[in-house]
Amino acid sequence: MHAARNRTIAITVGILPALIIYLIFAILPILQSFYYSFMEWDGFSDMRYVGLANFIELFQDPLFWNSMKNNIYVVLASVLGQVPIALFIALLLNRKIKGLKIFRTIGFLPVVLSTVVISITWSLIYNSENGLINELLRTAGLDFLAQNWLGDSNWSMIAVLVTVIWQFVGLYLIIFLAALQNVPEEVLEAAKMDGASEWKTTWSITIPMIWDTIIVAVILCISGSLKTFDLIYVMTNGGPAHSTDVMALYMFNETFSKLQYGYGSAVSVIIFFFSLILIYTVTKLLGRKML
Amino acid sequence: MRKLSFIIIISFGLMLGLVACSSGESQETSGNDVIELTLWNDWTEDRPENRAYKSMVEKFNEQHDDIEVVIEAIPHDQYETKLRTQAAGQQLPDMFRVWPGARIQPLVEGDAVLPLNDITDNWKGYIPEAIMEDYAVDGNQYAIPGNVSETSLIFYNKEMVAQAGFDTFPATYEELKTLIQSLNDQDITPIALGNKGIWPLQSIYISTIADRFTGSDFLPDVLNGEGSFENEQFIKSLAVIQELTEMNAFNSDMNTLDEAQARNNFISGNTAMHFAGSWAIGPILDSVENIDNIGVAPFPSFAGGEGDPQKIAGVAGGGIALNSKLTEEEQQAAFEFLKFFYSDEMYQQLIDANIIVPADVEIGEDIPQVFQEANKLAQGGLAPVYDATLTPELTDVINNGLQSITLGEMTPEELAAQMQQELESE
Repeated sequence: MHAARNRTIAITVGILPALIIYLIFAILPILQSFYYSFMEWDGFSDMRYVGLANFIELFQDPLFWNSMKNNIYVVLASVLGQVPIALFIALLLNRKIKGLKIFRTIGFLPVVLSTVVISITWSLIYNSENGLINELLRTAGLDFLAQNWLGDSNWSMIAVLVTVIWQFVGLYLIIFLAALQNVPEEVLEAAKMDGASEWKTTWSITIPMIWDTIIVAVILCISGSLKTFDLIYVMTNGGPAHSTDVMALYMFNETFSKLQYGYGSAVSVIIFFFSLILIYTVTKLLGRKML
Repeated sequence: MRKLSFIIIISFGLMLGLVACSSGESQETSGNDVIELTLWNDWTEDRPENRAYKSMVEKFNEQHDDIEVVIEAIPHDQYETKLRTQAAGQQLPDMFRVWPGARIQPLVEGDAVLPLNDITDNWKGYIPEAIMEDYAVDGNQYAIPGNVSETSLIFYNKEMVAQAGFDTFPATYEELKTLIQSLNDQDITPIALGNKGIWPLQSIYISTIADRFTGSDFLPDVLNGEGSFENEQFIKSLAVIQELTEMNAFNSDMNTLDEAQARNNFISGNTAMHFAGSWAIGPILDSVENIDNIGVAPFPSFAGGEGDPQKIAGVAGGGIALNSKLTEEEQQAAFEFLKFFYSDEMYQQLIDANIIVPADVEIGEDIPQVFQEANKLAQGGLAPVYDATLTPELTDVINNGLQSITLGEMTPEELAAQMQQELESE
């Protein structure tokens, strides 16, 4: 009894510093955002209570819906692009092949690179006049396929999405590889003895056994995509003409370029609920209780 | 039990560490008798103007044992965002670079900056009152102008323009269009534009083009509610951007390059012209191969325009504002710094760096022709610069709208209507 209480105290004391930091830097700002979202505030002068006016304005702003639409594209591209591609490569790499470490390192490289470096490099690749892609197309005589990738609002979002997928495939690749390593050798051997083909083994044994990991990857993917900001900020800054605007970027510009801290907070509150609902739905759909 | 006390000590240590971190900044000055002043600026690019500013700060520190000015440079495109964010959190540095007009207004309204009225006599008769006023709000002076930014100059490659059949640079818009046409026929990109930052088309182009069409009273009148953006002349000026884009006057990647990249394309001789402000004079002269091949011209005149074609959009710049929360002692130190900084010595250095200055200083004969001509253009009078006059919200609308016009997603009429709507909702 005495020992147990001591342990509780020890745990509390041990958790406390981290908890305090977390409360101050993660929970408190969220609560503050809720408060600010009911205010009209330019960041300098006194705040003025405006009730739900910020939210009403927000829902009537086509640019907000535009940014939400683009954000959904990012989520879809991440979940349907990053995860399957990463899983596919991980399955390929999960066998005794030469140079496995090299492939793994190459795959993981984009994750280690700074986003700004990635954005600038891809901007150069996409450049319409002397970028790698267009130069290649022109050399191959496919001039008609050359596009103003980032400068044309029809292509800019697609171009950005390709970069987004490329950037994070490596992360999920590593996660999947780690999970695959944990699939017991005996089970696979048993399947082999029973005469199951590789295809059958993969679908009926390997994937179900790492299903938990796949769900975690999907959730990470969604929350990561909803936060997406830096890559697009550097590559296009939401342009041209808002064609690559995402919610975080919209919030940032409304808050800091237009000096509407109250309105910006309202946007972040909506992003908060939007993310919450989306992740809740997905975990429900995938049949897991995460929340 | 020993383990437990160990944990407690460690966690308290951590918490103390946190507390120490958060209060660290305020203790800086009390350490010894040196007053430390932090100065935020955007002098990150290595160009003559910035070198001049930094050398002045170094010199000041050398001559003053009791004051230490510490400079912290932030890239220009992020500078204002960072400043506003810090201002909202009441965490402004002691001194910081500010831009005049609408851009300093919120800081004044929020009582974040200190009036300099006590020391403005120092520059009386040295800097013209009209230019000083750019940094004044409601009769209070908040910064001393360090330079004058002309935002609309045309830099051109003399050889290319001559090849296209123009010995002198076109003086009218009609002639300019002929020039663009004939450059295009020769497969030369006429104008290097880097509009990724979305401000160049507005600040550089529209500020002067709209002034040519509407006259300088238009903008203040509209903002006072005595006019409307849905004005035929103003719409005509927006249509110029549309027309230039449609006739392929710009490089096709204009919306993915930033201003400096576009300038470099011009410097390396890939394009015949580059429209930019006086801030580009230094970098262009610094890195271009043959200075004599570069010419500078004012924007052309537009038929039917109501404005004065001699004018050029421009505004004072290079001001440093002081934090309103400085202690008495720090204020005196900061005043001393400002007096030292905005002196003949600095203005002279700026002229050597091809920066147009507000102060009445002598210009040596060895100063390049391009600079002297640009300097002369300011004599024709200054027209208001749009983003220095409009509110941040309106600036955002026109910036994005102009980009949409270049993409064919918006018409000039629609943009004018949108601006008017934004103005009325404020």
